[in-house]
Amino acid sequence: MKLKPLPPFLLLAQLLFSQAIADTRATFENEQIKVRVTTNAPQPISAFYEGRGFQKNMINVLKQQCFVSVFIRNKSDDFIWLDLSQWQFHHVDGKIKRLDRHYWKERWKQMNIPMAHQSTFRWTLLPEELDFYPKEKEGGNIILPRSGKPFNIMARFDTGKNRSGKPILVRFENITCKVDK
Amino acid sequence: MKRLNTILFIFYLFSLVSVQAGELPAGIIKPKPFPAPELHVSDIDGIPLEKSEYQGKWLFIHFWASWCGPCRREVPAIEKMWSEMKKEGLALAFINTAEDEDTIFSFLSVYGPGLRAFMDKDGLATEQWKPRGLPATYLVDPDGIVRYQALGGRDWHSPAYLKFLRNLVKSQ
Repeated sequence: MKLKPLPPFLLLAQLLFSQAIADTRATFENEQIKVRVTTNAPQPISAFYEGRGFQKNMINVLKQQCFVSVFIRNKSDDFIWLDLSQWQFHHVDGKIKRLDRHYWKERWKQMNIPMAHQSTFRWTLLPEELDFYPKEKEGGNIILPRSGKPFNIMARFDTGKNRSGKPILVRFENITCKVDK
Repeated sequence: MKRLNTILFIFYLFSLVSVQAGELPAGIIKPKPFPAPELHVSDIDGIPLEKSEYQGKWLFIHFWASWCGPCRREVPAIEKMWSEMKKEGLALAFINTAEDEDTIFSFLSVYGPGLRAFMDKDGLATEQWKPRGLPATYLVDPDGIVRYQALGGRDWHSPAYLKFLRNLVKSQ
């Protein structure tokens, strides 16, 4: 059976639709690893932390950031190393500084946030460093300052028990931070 | 003859190691053994977890939170496993991470009414164990050494995991 080519307007619609999906989420997959990134709008972020009883001032701070949920699955039979210090984030104005655990620790300390909420918050973050066992999967959030500009993520994963294997390089381009509808 | 015995002995040792490794159910890892950090937690009624409850036994330590999806799926399996294994000598420390009594109570009434939950109110006890994520399960031997760790949520009531736990308990 011969397939009919798509009419031009449908082709355009399909292209635009794919672009829209790629903007707020993207997936990289090869035979060793699967990495999925999804950005989150402020409303669901607020709802999640409100549901955990977080105080308003903490939620207001979090709502202003760009939450990138990252899911990583080690598909290989070897170790794969997540090390966020080896990840880079860029937009048109240059490098974006990730708001890491140290930053949040200081911020929450200044705001006198209860230890329990600080702990729950930390659990929602992607670990700074983790040796992924064969077939292990983990996820968590990376937090960037919300700028409204599309950004690129360059991630490097070392491999092998002693991190001496060939590194895996992953690049996500043109990611935008989701906004509330 | 002496050489044959040596070869047979080496082969025996090798088979022991490979049988042990082969017996590990999916997602159970053997980290470099380390002494279990102290546990200072109390249950919802304020009754502390006493060392005497687990001393000299294999201890199944589980850290969880109600907001964690895999925890919701895993807790019912832990409850079923526990209903069998407590009679066989396994000790359990089922520890909620940084949530309040009401949250724990409503969660467990649905997912694990038969479990006694301990509270790590500020989350610091959990962090001492350096879990890879939540949920986190550790198996501590009767001498207080962490021997095994589970990657993510596991179906603890399935035959492979029950067999694994029974073998541990029998060895104590």
